[in-house]
Amino acid sequence: MKPSSRQICFFLAAVAPVGKLVLMPAQLAADAGNDLLFPVLAQLVLQAALIFCVLLLARHDCTVFALVRRAAGDVAARIFAVLLAAFLLFFAFLPVVEQKITVRSIFYDTIPAHLVFAPFFLFSAYLSARALGSLGRVWDILAPLSAVGMAGVLLLSVGNADFGALAPFGAAGTGGFIDGIRRTCCWFCDSALLLAMIGLFPYRKGLAWKGTLCYLGGGLALLFFLAVFYGVFGEIAVLQTPAFARVSAFFSAATVLGRIDYLFIFALAFVMTFYVVLPVQEAVGTLAEAFGGASLLPPLLSVGCNALLFAAVSLLNLSPSQTISTITGTLFWIFPLFSAVLPLVLLALFGRRQREKIS
Amino acid sequence: MRALLPAQDILSFAFSDEKGRAYVCLFADALTDKDLLAEQVLRPLFSYAGAPDAQAVAENTLSPEVRTQTSLSALAEEVLAGNPVLLWEGADAGLIVGTKKVPVRAVAEPPTDVAIKGPREGFIEDVKTNTSLVRKRLKTGELRVEMLTVGRRSKTVVALCWLEGTCREEVVREVRAKLSSIDIDILPDSSYLTRFLASRPHSLVKQVGTTEKPDIFCAKLAEGRVGLLADGSPIALTLPYMLIEDFQSGEDYFVPAFRATFTRFLRLFALLVAIYLPAFYVAAQIFKLQLLPVKLLLTIAGSIRDIPLSPSLEMLLVLLVLEVLNEASIRMPKYVGMALSVVGALVLGETAVSAGFVSTPAIIIIAFSGIGLYAVPNLIEETSVLRLLMLLTAGSLGTYGILLLSALVLTYLVSTENFGVPLAAPFSPLIPHDLRDSFLKYNLRSMKLRPTALNSPNKRRQK
Amino acid sequence: MKKFLKCFPVKLWILLFALLVLTFFSNDFGLVDIQKTALVLAAGIDRDEDGFRLTAQIAVPKGTDRTTGGTSSVEIDGRGSTVSECISDLYARTGWVPKLIYCDLVVLGESAAEKDVFDCLDAFLRNEYMPDSCLLAACAGSAGELLSSTSAIDDTSALALEKLFSDAAEQAGQVMTTTLREFAIGYFGESRSGYMPYVRAQAQEGSDQGQGGSQSGGQSMASPKTEEKIYSARETAIFSDGVLVGILSPEETFAFSLLKGNVYAGTFSVDGTSYLVLRDRGDIRVTASASPAFSLFVDCTVQHYGESHTSAPEQLVKGTLSRQEEEAVSARLTQSLQALWTSCTQAECDLLFFRRSLRRASPAVYAAWKDLPLSALPVTVQARVRSLR
Repeated sequence: MKPSSRQICFFLAAVAPVGKLVLMPAQLAADAGNDLLFPVLAQLVLQAALIFCVLLLARHDCTVFALVRRAAGDVAARIFAVLLAAFLLFFAFLPVVEQKITVRSIFYDTIPAHLVFAPFFLFSAYLSARALGSLGRVWDILAPLSAVGMAGVLLLSVGNADFGALAPFGAAGTGGFIDGIRRTCCWFCDSALLLAMIGLFPYRKGLAWKGTLCYLGGGLALLFFLAVFYGVFGEIAVLQTPAFARVSAFFSAATVLGRIDYLFIFALAFVMTFYVVLPVQEAVGTLAEAFGGASLLPPLLSVGCNALLFAAVSLLNLSPSQTISTITGTLFWIFPLFSAVLPLVLLALFGRRQREKIS
Repeated sequence: MRALLPAQDILSFAFSDEKGRAYVCLFADALTDKDLLAEQVLRPLFSYAGAPDAQAVAENTLSPEVRTQTSLSALAEEVLAGNPVLLWEGADAGLIVGTKKVPVRAVAEPPTDVAIKGPREGFIEDVKTNTSLVRKRLKTGELRVEMLTVGRRSKTVVALCWLEGTCREEVVREVRAKLSSIDIDILPDSSYLTRFLASRPHSLVKQVGTTEKPDIFCAKLAEGRVGLLADGSPIALTLPYMLIEDFQSGEDYFVPAFRATFTRFLRLFALLVAIYLPAFYVAAQIFKLQLLPVKLLLTIAGSIRDIPLSPSLEMLLVLLVLEVLNEASIRMPKYVGMALSVVGALVLGETAVSAGFVSTPAIIIIAFSGIGLYAVPNLIEETSVLRLLMLLTAGSLGTYGILLLSALVLTYLVSTENFGVPLAAPFSPLIPHDLRDSFLKYNLRSMKLRPTALNSPNKRRQK
Repeated sequence: MKKFLKCFPVKLWILLFALLVLTFFSNDFGLVDIQKTALVLAAGIDRDEDGFRLTAQIAVPKGTDRTTGGTSSVEIDGRGSTVSECISDLYARTGWVPKLIYCDLVVLGESAAEKDVFDCLDAFLRNEYMPDSCLLAACAGSAGELLSSTSAIDDTSALALEKLFSDAAEQAGQVMTTTLREFAIGYFGESRSGYMPYVRAQAQEGSDQGQGGSQSGGQSMASPKTEEKIYSARETAIFSDGVLVGILSPEETFAFSLLKGNVYAGTFSVDGTSYLVLRDRGDIRVTASASPAFSLFVDCTVQHYGESHTSAPEQLVKGTLSRQEEEAVSARLTQSLQALWTSCTQAECDLLFFRRSLRRASPAVYAAWKDLPLSALPVTVQARVRSLR
């Protein structure tokens, strides 16, 4: 069971943007103010280019581990796999924290017990142990769900948005722009996620362009969401987390019909759950491939990785602001290392297609 | 032979022919048409004076269904199957006569699949009648019917049906192999076969389609599936199975497309409400009040104010009572049905509310949920378990628990495959062409190709 | 071992199911049963030397008997140096967990409005379970007394007040509503101003006896409810830097509504004749240049709605205005707009968000003009009324 190229496009267009709807909008509002669209636009363009590069690498029809092993041998490849898996787990940490914040905010009326979030790790352990193909099949369902959720949230919130709040352009200056890019590196790592998937899906002709366009399409929706978000909240946007759950609460029929926007919010939260598990699954898959053989290995690795994440989340439960600040600020450089530098290096080394054999 | 057939309902009739040769006819008392036996076989042999070889004797009878067999144990099996066996002095083989007459009921509308429009015939317990109902509808040489025997002691005949050139050979081979590998004592019903045919025997979700109607069975064969008819069971099996099949009713193809589309979405809505409503009700009361508008919430809060149980326990109790009522209503004799309905409705419903054991909203929700499940009757077993799981999760973890369980179920459904066909097709993997006959029902003239998910070698069914 | 591994997944599912059932029956995940919850419908805040007094109007579910419909409520007070402490005090006194998810109205008493209102609104803004869509209102006197009073309209005073702030009332131009979100944006923005409806409670004539639908809790500080009140919110309280700096009259409030373009099928009177507004276009324009220009412009289409003397049937049917009438009504509306602007300048309240608009148009010009008093800004005011033809 392998994901198809259509499912990859669905992921890029509809699932990848959803992971950026929780903390990132408020973070951007704090760093770049009303100019929040520009850092995101820059990140999207950069990521789109990197995704194009990664999809070109996918033409080899083998995983990144296999590519490195071919070039540098088993030991080096294993070291590389461990590093990549470690990065993926590190990358997964912030989305898990975001998921926790989302759950606390939208699924409960009072602050729930810490253990309420524990079953997520059980689900993550289950899903991470499975092949990527099953996640690919889920994207077929998640894509329309994400589209409907996003459309619903935007439709219910656009009427309350004052787009004039985005003016004047350039008020945040270069400093705000650079800060915005720096602080959002931890969210724009889709090229790294895709890199861990290559070789697990068949490359079809034109996928590189299609995937890039799909990603940009999803990015456009994200930009529109950010514009509406800032238009709705303006100066108090920095307080609004999770952003996607707050923005649609002001539509006029809420007093009559109740919070029907929760239908769309829950749909997005549902999609987010799978997005959060993806890097863990990829880490498990990478390690299983590197040290593989036994059929028991993926489940054991999955349990181990999720236990590690659970321990990290529990330990840092009482210092969320500092944790987020460290990841988005101090350690921001780790993300472009794997999402930008690594794909470019691999493309430079392996980008040329093998000559086709003529028979 | 008597040693092989010691049962007292196996009778023997001894006679002699014109030449004084001794004959004995062995037959099962309740399974033989004695008049036909006497008329077609015995009477002509009274005046037989020809050679003693089986071929000659067979030609002398008037029965169109006569076979010879040399093995005594095989002859004994034929007697046990209801086919009389004739043995005589100097015989080189025994004669098996096809004058079986098994007690069967009349072909009638199946109780589990009622149609307002469309055919009303249903399968019965006799495999020959069932195959005749199929043959009646598919008058083509491509229809293959292969009789297999399953069950060491029951020797149940299972008819494997498919359309040559339309169904994938690999599926036929795989089904045949799986059936041949079944080593079981008896096969009382076709549902036993589903356990052996499923790729995941412990799965919550079924992996084999079922139907009691020959028109639906034939339609599924025509789409490229394999069908199984087991003797003694009115429920036919079809493979490969997709979940969407249970949302499709035979009637959908006899009514206008827009009506069929509406009805299918209604079934989906009813099923989702049936599974999720009790869970969300409990989750809303305990964890997330904001799911309910404030006035509705206050009305509910007023109703449950004096109820001694917590909302989750109350809902669980009412659900269990409903399941017990459900079970009892199926099992109880007809004569006490009325009394039990009164007990269920008045005592357990009305009186329990008046006494303050349960609240009115809980009764309403469970009643609606119970009715909603029957919108898709073929999925009752799965959805009732799912409803219970959702309720337990909602009572423990709230709305987030419902989300996680839904995600788990979704993952499970999309990753289940049987005979190379995904259970969740055509939604996952997305097969745009097959969406024409999913929840949406296109006009019949638009459905020119067979379902792509089944990968039939003959793709076109309509020009 | 193989057999064990084969059965392991099933055993694992059984174990998980057992855990689930155990959790279901033992649940200790901090759930709060609805019976132990105080559903706060509205909060009234007053201030004294010691801190804050928060009066929470809590919904009390009625029985299922249909003859006793409606919602009853109880008012509980909490005291503390911050609003959060007041909420904790509520919890301590009643044992009910206060839930603010349904708190759709926050009323600020005179004492709270005299100082920076964000000292108390801050708590609601921080609370992730409090909707930012809740309505804000200021009131004459004590907010606690207002919420504790008996309304002639509804069993629950908060619901009666919310009816005043409905979309229909806003469209009629009778009230200018605001939410916590809008008020906070104005407060934290360049203009540092905001507004909210100003509520007054008047005794209903001839209703000085009898009990209302509201019940008093044992710990309530509310005065005995012996007369039914009618609430009015035709005035608007304006704030600068979070402090109440003025109250707009009903005419000024109507002019403000027209300027916002809110009015549809609203009525107003000029010289004994009532007019119905069928189309309202309001424009607050800021032209950023070295010498910026500000203008307030209203263009509305009206028809006759009522007169203090009878007219001919032909005139009744048409409802059109003569040219002179149009001019007279235009002049009156222009006067109202001017009065609105005068109130703003006198109170130094940038109610019309000129500073914000100027900054959006040109940060450089904004930097030069931001510290000037509002009275120094050149503003042109014009209202144009046209008759329905």
